[in-house]
Amino acid sequence: MILGVDVGGTHTDAVLLDHSGVVASAKVETLHEDLLSSVRNALEAIFSKTSPAQVEHFNLSTTLCTNAIIQNELEEVGVLVTAGPGMDPSYFKIGDNYQVVPGGLDHRGTEIKSLDLDFARQCLEDYYKRGIRVFSLVGKFSPRNPEHEKQLAEILQDKCEFCTQGHALSSQLNFPRRIATAYYNSAVWPIFNNFANSVTDSLSEKGLNPNLNILKADGGTMPLSQARGMPVESIFSGPAASIMGIKALCDMQEDALLLDIGGTTTDVAVFADGDPVIEAESVELKQYPTLVRAMKTNSVGVGGDTAVTLENGDLQIGPKRLGCCLAQGGAAPTLVDALNCVQELNHGDTRASQKGMQDLGDQIGISSEEVAERVVLDACKQIREQALQMLEEVNEKPVYTVHEFLEYKKVAPKKIYLMGGPAKVLAPYLSREFDLLPVIPDNYSVANALGAAMARSTYEVELLADTEKHNMSIAVLGVQENISGRYSLEQAKEDVRSHLLNYLNRTLQLCVSPDEIEFVEESAMNMVKGMYTVGQDIRVKSQIKPGIIPEYAEAARCVCKEQ
Amino acid sequence: MQRAINNLGVVFFPAFDWAITPTHPERQERLLYTMDQLKEEGVFDVPGITEHKPQVADLEDIRRVHFCFPDTASNLTNSHLISAGGAIKSGDLYQKGLEDKSFALVRPPGHHAMKSVHGGRGFCNVNIEAIMVEYLREHYGVGKVAIVDTDCHHGDGTQNIYWHDPETLYISVHQDGRTLFPGSGFPGELGGPKAQGKNLNLPLPPETSDEGFLHVLNEVIMPVLEDFQPEMVINSAGQDNHFSDPLTNMNFSAQGYAQLNKVLNPDIAVLEGGYSIQGALPYVNLGIVLAMAGLDFDYVREPDFDPEAIRQSSKVTDHVKRISEMVRNHYFNPPDAQIRRDKKDNYFVRNQEIFYDTGFITERQKEYLLDCEHCRGILVIDSNSSKNKSCLGIEVPRGACEKCQEEGNRVFEESKVSGRYSNIQFINRIEGFVSRHSNT
Repeated sequence: MILGVDVGGTHTDAVLLDHSGVVASAKVETLHEDLLSSVRNALEAIFSKTSPAQVEHFNLSTTLCTNAIIQNELEEVGVLVTAGPGMDPSYFKIGDNYQVVPGGLDHRGTEIKSLDLDFARQCLEDYYKRGIRVFSLVGKFSPRNPEHEKQLAEILQDKCEFCTQGHALSSQLNFPRRIATAYYNSAVWPIFNNFANSVTDSLSEKGLNPNLNILKADGGTMPLSQARGMPVESIFSGPAASIMGIKALCDMQEDALLLDIGGTTTDVAVFADGDPVIEAESVELKQYPTLVRAMKTNSVGVGGDTAVTLENGDLQIGPKRLGCCLAQGGAAPTLVDALNCVQELNHGDTRASQKGMQDLGDQIGISSEEVAERVVLDACKQIREQALQMLEEVNEKPVYTVHEFLEYKKVAPKKIYLMGGPAKVLAPYLSREFDLLPVIPDNYSVANALGAAMARSTYEVELLADTEKHNMSIAVLGVQENISGRYSLEQAKEDVRSHLLNYLNRTLQLCVSPDEIEFVEESAMNMVKGMYTVGQDIRVKSQIKPGIIPEYAEAARCVCKEQ
Repeated sequence: MQRAINNLGVVFFPAFDWAITPTHPERQERLLYTMDQLKEEGVFDVPGITEHKPQVADLEDIRRVHFCFPDTASNLTNSHLISAGGAIKSGDLYQKGLEDKSFALVRPPGHHAMKSVHGGRGFCNVNIEAIMVEYLREHYGVGKVAIVDTDCHHGDGTQNIYWHDPETLYISVHQDGRTLFPGSGFPGELGGPKAQGKNLNLPLPPETSDEGFLHVLNEVIMPVLEDFQPEMVINSAGQDNHFSDPLTNMNFSAQGYAQLNKVLNPDIAVLEGGYSIQGALPYVNLGIVLAMAGLDFDYVREPDFDPEAIRQSSKVTDHVKRISEMVRNHYFNPPDAQIRRDKKDNYFVRNQEIFYDTGFITERQKEYLLDCEHCRGILVIDSNSSKNKSCLGIEVPRGACEKCQEEGNRVFEESKVSGRYSNIQFINRIEGFVSRHSNT
């Protein structure tokens, strides 16, 4: 059986599944000061209904690290960066302890200036004196050559409790993001590690010893052992959990939009051929962009509690929020009140909603029905406009070859998937506005916990080979090998696949089959000096994309009939 | 993170799957390390700097500018249409006010492509700056434009296209034509009879370094621009003046390029040549991006940059000063009176022989410009090449008077009937159409 827990902002949801479907589910309140208890309570609730017998997998999505960052409950981090030529590295300062160590690599990873290790030792000495015990070491172009980061790691003393090296986080080139990601990774490490210890202890107390995985923002999981090294990857996993949940509930194959209509916002996600669109560069933490891969989501500022006001005699829907709807005793009419009037949403005191619409209508001389209708239509219009803008961002993603440019297949949604309280009443309106078939999955209220439970591991690595220098490396996996001058793109693809499989199945003890690994980018370019080809620059990026654990693919399928 | 002072749009299209030939300098790998450097610096995360996808230019956008023989499409690959489209996108971003400045970091380049096109010259088939400028004139009514070409090779294509256009000031700074392809670009090449002084060439001696470039910038280019008052300044940002470029002999640096860009302050930059793809382009392009965005570029230095080693000699300095004075004087006092121009009937006539080094084609042309007292006059090019015989291009330019429009129509109709030409292209910028006639 597999168990999923999603610790969200208000509720903590849990669901237990076997191959035939949901065995038990639970919803408890999230205790912000004590997330561990929230997890425990959710588990209690599940196991009060069923015995904790055969839990093989336990996937956990938690706001722990996100909250720690937002509330600034961060460990002091000693940051050392090394830059080489380019932008002034002081632009990228983060935290209170940030030093630039002289030394540098060029864009090929060739050392152009050796590291000033004496200076680095002095900086570290100073950090130790100030009681700093966690560190981040980041070099410009370290994915091309991690040597400088490794040299810095070697001079760390026993006083170091944890250290993040930039090249281990991502193969993506982006020095400022690497710095910020490595900083936050170390800054949340103590809090995450303590939490991880407590969770495993709680599970053992119950006699459970499942594979414990942590959900990431890209909708994949990572084993706890790996998460302890890169806790920053656990941020913003909540939206990913819901999106994966919808993917688990519905057999999605087509381009689609997912609209999660909440109280304050409507969250939009995009699917291309049934797979959620992911961005390698998206997550920003306190205005610092990071390398945390995340699902592309946008929040539209229209939700059930969006206020309806009159501005110069015109109905204005949002962006204000003035508390809850009239139907629940609020002071100002909201979208929910309008929905109460256009159709039978039957939310709270519908007569209060009716009266609210009537009052607005009286002021501008139209009927309450018309007010409600206009409000709903306008809300749908706003949602559509912003969703289309997001689609355009997805479709305007730069490509760098003539082939990709001309063959580029735009994401063109065929359906809109809807979830959230007002989904059912809004469906016909949104359908008309988007001119797309709406689908409301049954059980969407447990989608987040289902998504957490059923998500499989994701991974992305890049192999770089330089046949002139005779070397090949996969920095994230720590692989570095000598190759012959005849090394080819085909060999590179084989190598990246076998190294990745080896890492996932041997080191992390997962069960990944070779066909789950796909190649997302590949190139082999001749390097020419003078008039002669001296070698090839070969690059292969491969990934395991987010998906549902194959054995459970059918377990949670619901009826996803078009409305 | 520091915010860009100017909102800058970078249209980046490295065409990683396109090359002239596998080991040609204009090959797939050319912008690979530039991409790596820009991505690693995180420039597209700087608030105010945005990466844009190019668009595809329409054949119409090319036909508006070039006489292409035997036709437009056969002189192009898709890559040319995307690189021209990248330049157009940059122009659109700027004209629509979506960006304060834009940089078309695209390939293949274009500044050796002339008015008439029979094939590839100097790695160029069509002139992406001219295609952009004429697109902007057509769609936004842009008038006076200045193009400052800082590629190491003389931009003979751009010079040729704008030779007779008094509304386009073309200034080229390049390595002396006596020492480098294409062998032209001397101070005496000042533009046609109706555009005297609107074409300026600043040939610099080999081993000119930052000092020399900045001298011509401050002493010639800036005062001339100040006087010309263009609506837009475009920089043809070739990067082969760099001290590490394999094809040239100059000593310009990334710091110099960035400094030049900061002073010149162009609205749009378009990449041209530059083939030191590891040692120069990553740094020069980064320097230009930062300079255009109004950001500090002090740390942008090539790993092997040694200002002392590449300092120009006093002989070079003296030469640069002499050239500067001469060219400045040519702009402010064009020596028109001393030039005798050949005329046939009411047409100025010029004979040209053009060699296409990339396509190995020789073209001989007779160029006729109607000497009209109301406008710049229609242009007729009678062109024969080793590839296409008996071709004719007729252009009724922007601002042409009614008489010239009639004359253009008459020449077109007459040539069609005469049967002398296998291929005729008629560009009418007043009515905004292009016609073709072919006898084959």
